[in-house]
Amino acid sequence: MQKRELTDQPHPQCFFSEFPAESDWDAVIIGAGPNGLMTAAYLARAGLKVALVERRYEVGGGLATEEILFPGYYSNIHAIYHLMVDYMPVVKDFELDRHGLVWIKPNLQTAMVFEDGGSLLLTRMIEDTADSFHKFSHKDAVAFGKLMRNWRRIVSEILAPATYIPAMSPIDISVAMQRTDIGNEMLELVEQSPLEVINKNFENDRIRALLLYVSCMWGLDPRETGIGFYVPLLLDRGMNKCYLHGGSHKLAGALAREIVRAGGTILESSDVTKINMNNGHVSGIELMEGRTLNSEVVISSLDPHTTFLDLLGAEKLPADLKDSVEGWKYDKWSYNTLHVLSEEAPHYACGDSWVDESFMTIIGFQSTDQLLAHWDNVVAGKVDDNSLGGHCTCESFFDSHLVRKPGRHVSFFQIHAPYDIEGGWDKRGPELQEAILAKWAKVAPNMKRENIAMTSQETPVDIEIRFPNMRRGSIKHGDYRPVQLGCFRPNQDCSNHDTPIKGLYLCGASTYPGGLVLGGPGYLAANRVAEDLGVTKWWKPTKEMEQYTKTYLE
Amino acid sequence: MSKEERYDVVIIGAGHNGTTTAAYLAKCGLSVCLLEERPECGGSQETTEPIAGVRIQPHAIANYGGSAPGWDQLEMWRYGFRMDWKAGAYVPLDLNRYMLTTDGLSKVTDVDKMGWGKICGMLTEPMFFKDLMRATFWCPPHPPEVELNDHTIPFMQVYKQHQPDMWTRELLEMTMFDLMDEYLETEPFKVNQAYIALVSGAHGHMEGGAIPALCSVATVLPPAVAMPVAPRGNIHGYYHALLRCAIAHGAIVRTCCPVEEIIIEHGRAVGVRLRDDATWGAKKIWADKAVISAVHIKPTFLEMIGPRHLDNGFLQRIKDLSLKGGSLYMAHFLTRERLHVRPKYQRDDYKYEDYGSFTGPFYPMDSRQLYFEHVTEVLGHQRSLTIPPERAMYGMVASENYAECHPQCTRPGLHINGPLFMLVPTPQYNVDGVEAMEDKAKWDEYMRVALSQVVDNIDSDNIVQIFSDGPWDQEFRNTGMMGGSWYGIRCDRDQWWNERPLPELARYRVPDIEGLYLSHQSSAHPGGLCLMAVGYNLMHILIEDGIAEPGDWWYASPWYIPEEGKISAIPHRPASAATQ
Repeated sequence: MQKRELTDQPHPQCFFSEFPAESDWDAVIIGAGPNGLMTAAYLARAGLKVALVERRYEVGGGLATEEILFPGYYSNIHAIYHLMVDYMPVVKDFELDRHGLVWIKPNLQTAMVFEDGGSLLLTRMIEDTADSFHKFSHKDAVAFGKLMRNWRRIVSEILAPATYIPAMSPIDISVAMQRTDIGNEMLELVEQSPLEVINKNFENDRIRALLLYVSCMWGLDPRETGIGFYVPLLLDRGMNKCYLHGGSHKLAGALAREIVRAGGTILESSDVTKINMNNGHVSGIELMEGRTLNSEVVISSLDPHTTFLDLLGAEKLPADLKDSVEGWKYDKWSYNTLHVLSEEAPHYACGDSWVDESFMTIIGFQSTDQLLAHWDNVVAGKVDDNSLGGHCTCESFFDSHLVRKPGRHVSFFQIHAPYDIEGGWDKRGPELQEAILAKWAKVAPNMKRENIAMTSQETPVDIEIRFPNMRRGSIKHGDYRPVQLGCFRPNQDCSNHDTPIKGLYLCGASTYPGGLVLGGPGYLAANRVAEDLGVTKWWKPTKEMEQYTKTYLE
Repeated sequence: MSKEERYDVVIIGAGHNGTTTAAYLAKCGLSVCLLEERPECGGSQETTEPIAGVRIQPHAIANYGGSAPGWDQLEMWRYGFRMDWKAGAYVPLDLNRYMLTTDGLSKVTDVDKMGWGKICGMLTEPMFFKDLMRATFWCPPHPPEVELNDHTIPFMQVYKQHQPDMWTRELLEMTMFDLMDEYLETEPFKVNQAYIALVSGAHGHMEGGAIPALCSVATVLPPAVAMPVAPRGNIHGYYHALLRCAIAHGAIVRTCCPVEEIIIEHGRAVGVRLRDDATWGAKKIWADKAVISAVHIKPTFLEMIGPRHLDNGFLQRIKDLSLKGGSLYMAHFLTRERLHVRPKYQRDDYKYEDYGSFTGPFYPMDSRQLYFEHVTEVLGHQRSLTIPPERAMYGMVASENYAECHPQCTRPGLHINGPLFMLVPTPQYNVDGVEAMEDKAKWDEYMRVALSQVVDNIDSDNIVQIFSDGPWDQEFRNTGMMGGSWYGIRCDRDQWWNERPLPELARYRVPDIEGLYLSHQSSAHPGGLCLMAVGYNLMHILIEDGIAEPGDWWYASPWYIPEEGKISAIPHRPASAATQ
């Protein structure tokens, strides 16, 4: 193969060796977000010669802890609520605690505060939640206790382990679930919408609003049937969120170290321009800087549009795949996040002092109707400054390492927001910043202007600029709707991480099981590649996965 | 979780020097634990994206270490290191530029170019440039029994061997200006080079500073590195390769692990104790062979070791180490339009904007009087900027364009410029008090006015945002930069080579405390800049003490003199492999 012309040429008296213009690998992984990092780590440790390439100057993707309150203060600008620490295989497989990864799981998980001074709490311990619910409805408090005990089983015995086992068709799922009572319960939930599930089981409007927010905040349509099972999953996980001490980026750092320890190579500031093909088979990638990485296995964690249309080219795709990619729908909403540096941690003027210590606090919604109206607005491209709401976290409360100059606090207020906002983000951004601060100060009077030292807002457009694969600010790389979930994510040909293109695999959020830091797609892709190449897996399923397989699949 | 851990070597601080040391030692097969207090490693080798799509360098920017043995000894390319070369921009001795003065452009003459080439070792066939750099930075100080003179000092040996007409005793006494007056022609060119030395940590205006200052400049210009000089992935990308070399060889790295105490028992450093808020559960980490402090010398001795193990005389001398060496105020300007140079500074044959990095203005280079005025202000008066901004000296690198495949600003319609850097007083000594350093708006405006002498569209219409970090910010963000000092402590004749930081500490060891070594810009030769030099030099000492046993990849500095009674760091190999 002819040596490619490098974009830059080393000067004639270069004193040191450079990375070669062309190199050969057993596997090349594109995109060093959590999924790319995991796939690379598993395969590198399995003995493959692995290259992981990343466009940005830093690995991590959504595992980003960055100094946007510059200078001196760090914020977790994407992943902060780690939902699947209890179940994702990567934690035990790599013994991540050896890297100094310490997960903080506070009991006080999610609070909701109301402008009349009322408040609700979702806690890790069910009884504390029930206690809080008693303030509004004894019936709901008792119901919650009973329901959650069952729902927890659905999560720990079915939904959580299934996340790390290849996707199944709806029929196969149906047949499997019918083996047990809780399986059948799960199937009943599938039929319903989140709103139906919640309304059926709870009577109090405020409690409903809390549970609805927690269930749908990641981008679910509350009225959509076929996704009711997300309610137990996201409620249970929403009561078990972990904060990673030192910031979410530490998970990326630990995985990067595992890759390097196992002999893998990571190239940052390495934008990929092309996936090469040779005789109908993938043969490697081209970097914008002019280097070529040869491999018969290319694994992309990027969104479908980038992988299939930009890097491969529409003409290389079978018709079905092309249609699927072109019809792919991005997230129904994105996020507008106002990060603030304040003189004090937010202090909420409600009757419950525990609210100040809560990991997440939902603000602005006084009723379910208002919440639904907000989401309807967002999906329609609007935000009403007066009736918006969202959730907040005081990050430095849990993590003093974020604050280099002691004495101040780092927090954020995040709202669901449209990428294509009516009026445009240039105009609406500053307006929403004011509206958000006003909402916040209403329930936490000490978050008034005079106490705010610095702000930094990341709009959906900013999300896309910082992470171009989060197209239209899609943090999950694609909407959660029944035709884009399960074995349909991204389509039936690719949901098990291989594709109709020989040698091309997918490992990103647009594949099963989906977005957020689940430790799912990356793990499953590694499994798939190992199986296809006949490489021995050094890892074993978790005990939950083994139990699930035994009960439902064998 | 409370199980205590044990390694061969524990290194405190994962900045440039700690990580270089970790890479070398891990490559020797030692078990290494590298501890970092911040959530992110890298020290001053950092790159950040404060708003989406805009990348800045709050501290280190350039790769000064082009001549380092580390590139090949550590095989940095293997861990992803790539330079950013710009095809066609490099021409040997192309200082085909003009210097900027208050009057306008001052051309660099042929005498300037040839003179510079001569004193930097570029005119001989082959060039001895690399030897000159290596002799200056990449060689540990000689053992105390060796007399230092024009035969034994490494860079003197280099001149003697390759360019004997330059080799005179006076080289050891000269200031950089003295040297340049002998060989160069135009005043603005001389001032420009002296200023680059100043902001690189070497005070060229001091007696005896001529060659160290010269080399501090030469090491960041061709042929050490081409223009532009940024590593792929910016300076943090360079750091990643270094860290990954350490990790690939088995080093364990932990972040959010500040060290509170170096544990000393019976006159020996045996481990460290982490601060209570460290994320690692086991707070004591034992070191069987060595504890290496790669953090600032002052907290090392004053806090981590303290009066329990050190006498007051020594502690006083540590306290007296001067942080006056200077701090840099860094300002990045995010603008709507590209910056436009004033007509009197424009040229037809050379467009600043085509080259980006390192050809931005250094201004004003009129005369050494201006240089001395600036130096006096910062180091003598130590007030907050009483010189009018119209006369203030600064440098600027235009970071946006330096690689197409590596854009610094992907935010549509905007441009990131800078950093502009200006030497400013270290807060600790600021006569107006520390508070005077904290008025960022005032400093930002000062920088803007200074830049506007050269650029005609740096005004509030064009500026979207300024990302600036001053010395006070720097000290908090990065405790390796006490007082915001970029070089650790002052780089002058009293704190260079065998005097740095104190004569008894110059060979990286600590008398009366066995097993403790120093590896930081503030505690070791050659001081600041990302050179992979402190770690390389320290390796010689660790080999002498029987701690490190490197493989065939190692070679010692050709000018290194082994200490009597110790193992020599020169590998026993056939003569042909003695030096690269």
